[in-house]
Amino acid sequence: MLEMRINGFGGQGSVTLAHLLAQAALENGEQGQALPFFGVERRGAPVRAAVRMSPTTIHAHSQCELPDYVVVMSEKLTEAAVSEGISEIGTVIINAPHAVAVQKYPTWHVDADAIAHEAGLFSADGPLINIPLFGAVCRVLNIPQNIMEQTIMNKWPGNGERNLDAAGKAYNTVTQISVKRAVSA
Amino acid sequence: MKAAQVIMDTGTHAAALAVKSARVDVIPGYPITPQTSIMEAIAGMVENGELNARFIPVEGEHSVLAAAVAASAAGARVFTATSANGLLYMHEVLHMASGGRLPVVMCNVNRGVFAPWTLWADHQDSFAQRDTGWIQYHCSSNQEVFNTILQAFRVAEQINIPVMVNFDGFAISHCLMPLTLPPQEDIDRFLPPHKPEWRLDPANPSSFSNVTMAAEYATFRQLLSDDIMASIPMVKQAAQEYKEITGMWDGDTIDTYRLEDAEVVAFAVNSMAAELRLSIDMLREQGIKAGLLRPRLYLPFPTEDIISALPKNAQVMVLDRNYNYGHPGGILASELKSVLYGRRNDITVKNRVMGIGGIDLTRRFMASEIRAMMDE
Repeated sequence: MLEMRINGFGGQGSVTLAHLLAQAALENGEQGQALPFFGVERRGAPVRAAVRMSPTTIHAHSQCELPDYVVVMSEKLTEAAVSEGISEIGTVIINAPHAVAVQKYPTWHVDADAIAHEAGLFSADGPLINIPLFGAVCRVLNIPQNIMEQTIMNKWPGNGERNLDAAGKAYNTVTQISVKRAVSA
Repeated sequence: MKAAQVIMDTGTHAAALAVKSARVDVIPGYPITPQTSIMEAIAGMVENGELNARFIPVEGEHSVLAAAVAASAAGARVFTATSANGLLYMHEVLHMASGGRLPVVMCNVNRGVFAPWTLWADHQDSFAQRDTGWIQYHCSSNQEVFNTILQAFRVAEQINIPVMVNFDGFAISHCLMPLTLPPQEDIDRFLPPHKPEWRLDPANPSSFSNVTMAAEYATFRQLLSDDIMASIPMVKQAAQEYKEITGMWDGDTIDTYRLEDAEVVAFAVNSMAAELRLSIDMLREQGIKAGLLRPRLYLPFPTEDIISALPKNAQVMVLDRNYNYGHPGGILASELKSVLYGRRNDITVKNRVMGIGGIDLTRRFMASEIRAMMDE
């Protein structure tokens, strides 16, 4: 079972990102689960969501305490997100304008803000970064690009062009910036 | 024959889709977190014509259940949903539904009770309704919520007792998971239209639940007590027939995992019991013969099935997500001990309270708690 935690700020679309990823698992022939943590939601407050993927039935219903992947929707949250817990062999995926390395953990970098800007994906809260992040995470998890595209088309039938564009760009530009692994004691 | 459809949806939407599949006639509703999205989804289905039913928005939960009681007495198939303090506010009318022998089905999305406020799950709300004469299921997955609502209508309408279908707020209610929807024709075969033996009818006036003298009152109460016990074979039959028609099985009165040769048995309900399967696997990897017994029915308490399922000399670790105020520990442990007394003296029962107000119950935490309880 693959476990992931998304750390973001309220309004960045982490719930939709979690839903898209769980849906992509199903499209990819696996089981998927999206379990956002609902607190007292406020725009700009730190939020998190759990995502699980597995070839067999998922019985877990807790938040992911030691996930295999941590998705950081804003660079400012990097330290807090990693310190919330990550598997010893975990991987971090960060949205930032420049490459940010996290000590001990292999890290992937994508500039989701720039990609959303370029694709013209905005809401009242700013750029819709969850769409490029969806593309980037699919790439890191080796989910085929056509499965990623199918998931977007199913979610927004007939209205997915810019989403496809942004997710595809992130899929093809997300970059691994460090491969140093933790040495377990 | 049409094939089942697999979608991704939340626990609350699974409940709403079951209500639609059950062809419910009347749904009174009032919002309360985390139940609200059930009512929102049903109101939407009624509005857009997907569900041919009457949705009645009222001013509070006491009135919700009063409207449900009235609609059920008029012969309708009735559903509603609530959580925590909404359920507590219904308490008086819960008795009216069961005493009036009205087969209402209600979801309670478990949430800790006020004061202080919490939004997240524990099981104080449903267990506090123990003595109201309702049948109570507790579900551990989105799919089980869907399946159980359909089974609940079957049982309720067979024995004329209301049924509460409980599941955890957020961990299930707001969790997006795969959900298998059997073809409607299969559901119609499992759950035929509701044909009450008696109903309130303005064309043929009669009185209902009038003042009774002691002997009559006592007879009604005895019948309710006897019939709740008599519902156990119906619960089993509903689960079995549902399996034959849809291929899906969540257990009947109980659900077990790796129990046959277990020396240490975890005993818990709802989503924590799903997560406990992973704790059991972890304990087995450590060489501990662990297993799980999950009562799917809380009421009637599945005494005989528990007694026959527990392996000889097992240590039972009851993990309660509630308090049994005035007693040490939780309510499930107290119930279990009372049915084992004098019948299974080989069993040791240990108990811990955990997960109150939604404290996250991870597989690692519960495995380590069980490990620690073994040394107590």
